[in-house]
Amino acid sequence: MDQGHIRNFCIIAHIDHGKSTLADRILQLTGAVSERDMRSQVLDSMDLERERGITIKAQAVRVHYTASDGETYQLNLIDTPGHVDFSYEVSRSLAACEGALLVVDASQGIEAQTLANTYLAIEGDLEVIPVLNKIDLPAADPELHGRAVADLIGDDPENVLRISAKTGEGIEAVLEAVVERVPPPSGDLTAPARALIFDSVYDQYRGVVAFVRVMDGVFQKGDKLRCMQTGLVVESEEIGVMAPVMTPTGKLAAGETGYLVTGLKNLGDLRVGDTITRVAEPAAEALPGYREVKPMVFCGLFPVDADDYPDLRDALEKLSLNDASLRWEPESSQALGFGFRCGFLGLLHMDIVRERLEREYDLELLATTPNVEYKVTTTMGEILPVRSPTELPPPTNIAMIEEPFVRCTILVPSDGVGAVMKLCQDRRGVFVTMEPIENRQQIVYDMPLAEIVLDFYDQLKSRTRGYASLDYEIVGYRESHLVKLDVLLAGDTVDALSMIVHRDEAYTRGKLLVERLFRTIPRQLFDVPIQAAIGGKILARETVKARRKDVLAKCYGGDISRKRKLLERQKEGKKRMKQVGSVEVPQEAFLSVLKIGDDGNGK
Amino acid sequence: MSPVAHLYLHLPFCSSRCGYCAFVVNVGALGRRDEYLDALLAELEGERAAGRIGELQTVYLGGGTPTLMRPRRLAALMERIRPHLAPGAEVSMEANPESVDGPALAALRRAGVNRLSLGVQSFQPHLLSALDRAATPAQARQLIACARAAGFEDLSIDLIFGIPGQTADDLERDLAEVLTAGPDHVSWYELELKPGTALARAGTPAFDEDEGADAYRRIVGGLEDAGYGWYETANFARPGHECRHSLAYWSAADYLGLGVGAVSTVGGERWRNAAALDGYLAALAAGEAPPRSREPLDADDVRRERWMLGLRLERGLPLAWAGPPDRPDALARLSAAGLLHHDAGAVSLTREGRFVQNAILHELMDYA
Repeated sequence: MDQGHIRNFCIIAHIDHGKSTLADRILQLTGAVSERDMRSQVLDSMDLERERGITIKAQAVRVHYTASDGETYQLNLIDTPGHVDFSYEVSRSLAACEGALLVVDASQGIEAQTLANTYLAIEGDLEVIPVLNKIDLPAADPELHGRAVADLIGDDPENVLRISAKTGEGIEAVLEAVVERVPPPSGDLTAPARALIFDSVYDQYRGVVAFVRVMDGVFQKGDKLRCMQTGLVVESEEIGVMAPVMTPTGKLAAGETGYLVTGLKNLGDLRVGDTITRVAEPAAEALPGYREVKPMVFCGLFPVDADDYPDLRDALEKLSLNDASLRWEPESSQALGFGFRCGFLGLLHMDIVRERLEREYDLELLATTPNVEYKVTTTMGEILPVRSPTELPPPTNIAMIEEPFVRCTILVPSDGVGAVMKLCQDRRGVFVTMEPIENRQQIVYDMPLAEIVLDFYDQLKSRTRGYASLDYEIVGYRESHLVKLDVLLAGDTVDALSMIVHRDEAYTRGKLLVERLFRTIPRQLFDVPIQAAIGGKILARETVKARRKDVLAKCYGGDISRKRKLLERQKEGKKRMKQVGSVEVPQEAFLSVLKIGDDGNGK
Repeated sequence: MSPVAHLYLHLPFCSSRCGYCAFVVNVGALGRRDEYLDALLAELEGERAAGRIGELQTVYLGGGTPTLMRPRRLAALMERIRPHLAPGAEVSMEANPESVDGPALAALRRAGVNRLSLGVQSFQPHLLSALDRAATPAQARQLIACARAAGFEDLSIDLIFGIPGQTADDLERDLAEVLTAGPDHVSWYELELKPGTALARAGTPAFDEDEGADAYRRIVGGLEDAGYGWYETANFARPGHECRHSLAYWSAADYLGLGVGAVSTVGGERWRNAAALDGYLAALAAGEAPPRSREPLDADDVRRERWMLGLRLERGLPLAWAGPPDRPDALARLSAAGLLHHDAGAVSLTREGRFVQNAILHELMDYA
């Protein structure tokens, strides 16, 4: 198909604003998926994605649409993830498109995330088509939100499409707008072939599959290909398009998107953002890539049952096959034994990985408090990256500690401004700006990432009854007065419970930590003192008193077996506890430390 | 299979079910009590024919409310047991204050019952009503006097602590009543909120550990001061009045249990008669053994049960008999902590250790 009949576009939308439903409708309307085969939300294929209603992996689907001009067009819909943790994937998708549908819930209006992604699209010279979804809802206010969306992209309010993906109303008009308004690709068919890798997945049978947007030239099955950044040479074992299942086509030409089966076995070998060219006739210059994804949040994952360690390693290896952003390395803890220090894109990513490990691989895990990557300058002038509290050098060897800061953009209705500013101040935020956007305020703060990863998002939501939305980007490292807060159980430091905190917060954090542990650690045969300390200085202390009575009341002939079985059940319950030195610590104790901020005082 | 020296007979009938009761009892089936005794005798005959009944050192008639059975039929049952009794055998029976009177007690004594266990539970009216007990404190006091008058020289009373609404003062009053009544033996349990009981269903909160510990310690101290030995976790006796039948359980001896829901342990095998009255009566009327579920005990089960039972006793357990604990290194640690005595091949708990016996058991053994 000539490039004039190709349209590459993506959808920008906030979670729950209806992106997946719209995508489903498009597949249905163009006959790519029959009514009968229609599984709701075809693009969100992972169970967890479906459950949480979010999209994690970007994918590209090709459909054919016969427009009102009588011509048939090839439309390539490139999916984008909707959550802040995965914003880097959005920039990938945008780079492969000439247009974007900006989908906004007609009852909710624009959210911070959408705003940020829309700016990205405009900067990338994409044609943005505004769409108000869910106009069938009683609470829909298409006038108000339509005006705001038009303002945002500098368009006429009349050009804002009004649809209901749920009922199917207006979908045809969306496709017409894509054909009319999104510019066709303008690659050079005769130039040396170049394609941008915008995503990759690991397929059990085919190995690593690259999703590509061909910019110039033509790729054929069997071509020897070179990755221009890494220098890696692969063969295109198969080449095709997602329609919506993998369909071999034998070639992909300039303007098209599709997939390449590379024969690689390790997802990490292929760098998303790299440019592919043909070895035989290489392109002179690589396409502009995008920044490499770096994990932002780290935590230790340990099996509750030490025997599960090899299984956890296997599971992480398998997960990594399809999640190049997940990093992990072995870690050992005195308290928790052998486990892995893992790096994630954000808290949601961490939650998802943990849930998948527990659910799909049937592992019981303990996670340490998440932390960010600190930069420590030693008194010798050395700069050390610190990803775990245990890596922190002794205080006397530290000249300076820096931590990553992010610029947070928060959109909130005016009556929530006070609550949001209070929260940001409490979390060591530095005010940047505030300005009205449609009927809401846009508040910008610079904040330590460490404060965000703890529970900021949950707090933000609960303090604004769910109305605030958040976006953030890293702005760099800044010096902070940070200290290592230790927890001692029965006199011994529990390395897995240590955390790096701001000096001003150490006392409240330590006190709360001790209280939480005091409430969750059951009474045992001996007294268990719980202490929080910085260096040798004790900040807080509680003691779980030794048990004073623990007997099985009656035991006669009839219930000897029952009593023995009761002991067996009690023992089973103890297995879910972690033996830390002489103390049995239940899993909830570790979890309670994680959820340190959920009792309403914000710390 | 070697013959047993300890026999339990279950008499399951009750006029009502108490709020804390999780035993196998039958309410509103009194019309079948004679039929039941016939069946019980048939089961006894079957066991006798199988050679499982040896010279009986102890017999225990428990319930239910055994005193709801017709005295004449009970006497007939005792007639059948008498030939198997060893000289000086202990023959115990449970009785509830509201279901028995002086003449009936005298008849039981004549029939050969020589030890009486009275289900008093408390002397405080509001606590009795919290437990759904039918008897009044006055009836309990009167029954104790009647039992003495009937010639019972081995008298035990059962009490419960940790009853919803029970204060420290209530406990003091119960303790004083017990000492005034002067039984030879006292069983004093903490209320257990077993699943399925009316109290558990009503969402009764469990006693706080410290409250329970205070009450428990007060009971042990009060009874010991009055000359009762704390010979088992929840049992106290004047010297020489320990319950020999219960001691057989706690020493993991073989025993035979007859009647609905009764359990037997003989020669490394345990079986439990099914709890349903109908099935039991039908099987025995048809000349068959009652429906039973069997549970083989392996060497580890036996060893772990011996530890579980032996540590309940003040005298502890001989290591040669019980076998080694699963975690022998814990012995020294617990001994150093003052919770356990470990010498000359025997292990027993210290006074402090006995209050946390269950936790110690988990330190020593792996129940899996």
